[in-house]
Amino acid sequence: MANFNIDAKKDVTYDAIVIGSGISGGWAAKELCEKGLKTLVLERGKIVEHVVDYPTMNLDPWDMELRGGLTPEQKKKHYKAIRSGWIGTDTEHFWADDEANPYIEEKPFLWLRGHQMGGKSLLWGKQTYRWSDLDFEANAKDGNGVDWPIRYKDIEPWYTYVEKFAGISGEALGLPQLPDSHFLPPMELNCVEKHIKSRIEKEFKGRNMTIGRVAHLTQPHNGRGQCQYRNRCSRGCPYGAYFSSNSTTLPAANATGNLTIRPFSIVQSVIYDDQKGKATGVRIIDAETNEDIEYSAKIIFVNASALSTTQILMNSKSNRFENGLGNDSGELGHNLMDHTYRVGALGKVEGFDDKYYKGRRPNGIYIPRYVNIDEASKSDKFVRGFGYQGGAHRGGNAANIESFGAEYKDSILKPGPWEFFITGFAECLPYHENKITLNTDVLDKWGQPTLTIDAEFKENEKALNKQIQEDAVEMLEAAGVKDVLGFDNEHPPGYGVHEMGTARMGRDPKTSVLNEFNQVHAAKNVFVTDGACMTSSSCVNPSLTYMALTARAADHAVSELKKQNL
Amino acid sequence: MDRRKALQKTGLFAGATLMMPTMLSILQSCKEEKRLDWQPEFFTEDEAKIVSLLVDMILPRTDTPGALDVKSDIFMDKVIARTYDAGGQEHMRSEIAAFNASCEEKYGAAFIDLNESDRIAVLKEAEANSGKFNPGVWGTAVGEQEPIGFYRGLKSMAIWAYSTSEEIGKNVLSYDPIPGNYEPCKPVSEVGNKWSL
Repeated sequence: MANFNIDAKKDVTYDAIVIGSGISGGWAAKELCEKGLKTLVLERGKIVEHVVDYPTMNLDPWDMELRGGLTPEQKKKHYKAIRSGWIGTDTEHFWADDEANPYIEEKPFLWLRGHQMGGKSLLWGKQTYRWSDLDFEANAKDGNGVDWPIRYKDIEPWYTYVEKFAGISGEALGLPQLPDSHFLPPMELNCVEKHIKSRIEKEFKGRNMTIGRVAHLTQPHNGRGQCQYRNRCSRGCPYGAYFSSNSTTLPAANATGNLTIRPFSIVQSVIYDDQKGKATGVRIIDAETNEDIEYSAKIIFVNASALSTTQILMNSKSNRFENGLGNDSGELGHNLMDHTYRVGALGKVEGFDDKYYKGRRPNGIYIPRYVNIDEASKSDKFVRGFGYQGGAHRGGNAANIESFGAEYKDSILKPGPWEFFITGFAECLPYHENKITLNTDVLDKWGQPTLTIDAEFKENEKALNKQIQEDAVEMLEAAGVKDVLGFDNEHPPGYGVHEMGTARMGRDPKTSVLNEFNQVHAAKNVFVTDGACMTSSSCVNPSLTYMALTARAADHAVSELKKQNL
Repeated sequence: MDRRKALQKTGLFAGATLMMPTMLSILQSCKEEKRLDWQPEFFTEDEAKIVSLLVDMILPRTDTPGALDVKSDIFMDKVIARTYDAGGQEHMRSEIAAFNASCEEKYGAAFIDLNESDRIAVLKEAEANSGKFNPGVWGTAVGEQEPIGFYRGLKSMAIWAYSTSEEIGKNVLSYDPIPGNYEPCKPVSEVGNKWSL
């Protein structure tokens, strides 16, 4: 693969500008480039070229001086993100600098960011599920938020389109609430998971357990290699076996010859021309030289990640849009959502001591939503629903065993006890008061306003979490799991890293920011197709939906451009 | 595994005549002279002796290498020196002091000066009285975590240092850096010791 064209200096005019190179920005770049548009991708951080820039991908623990431990300096740099528990020396270079990029938590909120080419597509969980009309109709049916301007039929062909390119492995179940994707062969359940699946499905009619549907290749696909079961995904995969912008969409965009990617480009604002009545370009600050530069284009895709996208729109002020680009409704910055996280149950499984597995499968089990999917499953305690992820493995904590010495040491070299856990992800309602605002008192390293985040889970999410834990304990006990422990870590929003909303799609410009094709209602050449656009949150992982919405919006953008409507 | 094989696996056997005295000196340093043969970054010499003795008692050499053979104590010192903040370091220091003080109070001598049976009694008490780690999900403990205390925390760190050392990770545990496929239901007998990664 040829190196990326990073020389944006010689040309400041493009057909399209894409802000951000994560999951949705990568897709926007690929689609626009393949449709013949000269496209500039503005990336806040450094270039991360597939394989070449994955410095830790092959390191064993002993190859790292502190075997994953972070120095006080590194902890300070990631003082907010470190709460996630995911940052070690193996991935530290892919997490944003919290000191240079501060934010204020009016209420506790974990905002995880990846400031580099590929963004969080290098770090994501790879769980990929289609949404259904249960999700797209939810707001209209129970009156929370505003109605989605689309339905499943509008996005269905685009799910298929992105799945065929990205490569999604999983098992078809034929469930209306969790439509099947265009699947590569599923990964396998281990013997304990198979055992628990059969017990749960027998004891609880209407509940299914399946292998996670994931953006991991189980066979070679479009020039990328299949998963080697190393489970070192977040360091970057040398085989390109999971979907990332770096391994998948950006190389495709680059192959067209139409892509320019400009690293270290901090987008200050989208430029709106009051006379022309449309956006004309993007103003950036070079992160290294502090130079201000303007780039112009006919269409602009804002894919900076949910909160950053809205931050850019809020900071894009003009005579026409005094309160931020596209904020006629006053909804810009509002209706922030995330999934609830780390609520469930775990325990030990007996009777499989002679069984083990080979390979570190970067995936687990999934139990699709089974409440509030029809009249029979309707809850009187909450609206919406939840699904579970989890899995079985041999683990245990050797330090807890009350023993020491020769026999003890030899015993802990053997495989530990089988353990099984499930943890729920509940849908969060779109509350107007869960919001972000521009903070002009706290500036980032480049003098730009930062965000104040003011969001919390409320009664409906708490009721969902209570049910998640109760059901989890009940299912594990029914499946014969021992020492079952229910848990709720009561994480505030952000820990799910599924930030959605703040520039929602809707039918009515008076109550929403974007239309049915992700165009800003009153600035139709500006598109938002990352998490910011989401009108509700479903209970399933959102990234596949961002991919499909992006491909759909890009198709619409080019078609409108050709008709000279933009 | 016999002792000869264990030594081969540690690599210590590879120039046997040259290497054996080094091993002997490790043994002797613990059992006789009690003089430190390495320079700690964080621990004082007295603290290092306590930690070395503790990890040797928890994970001694058997037919596989022990914690001292793979320099777990030296690595732990480095981790505390380079990853703990000042508060964490101070806490570690005060916990070691308190551990030693309780030995003096109950058995009349510092930990390293106790006879073997008293030291074993100290560890048995510590096992019974230290908190336990809650189970975790995706790297984070769940539920309300009771205080762990010095002994269990040190033991946990020693196990980590031991299992992530190259000798143990590559030659004692089952090492397979690139599995290539997933075998969901494999007899333990075909794997042996647990996977190192």
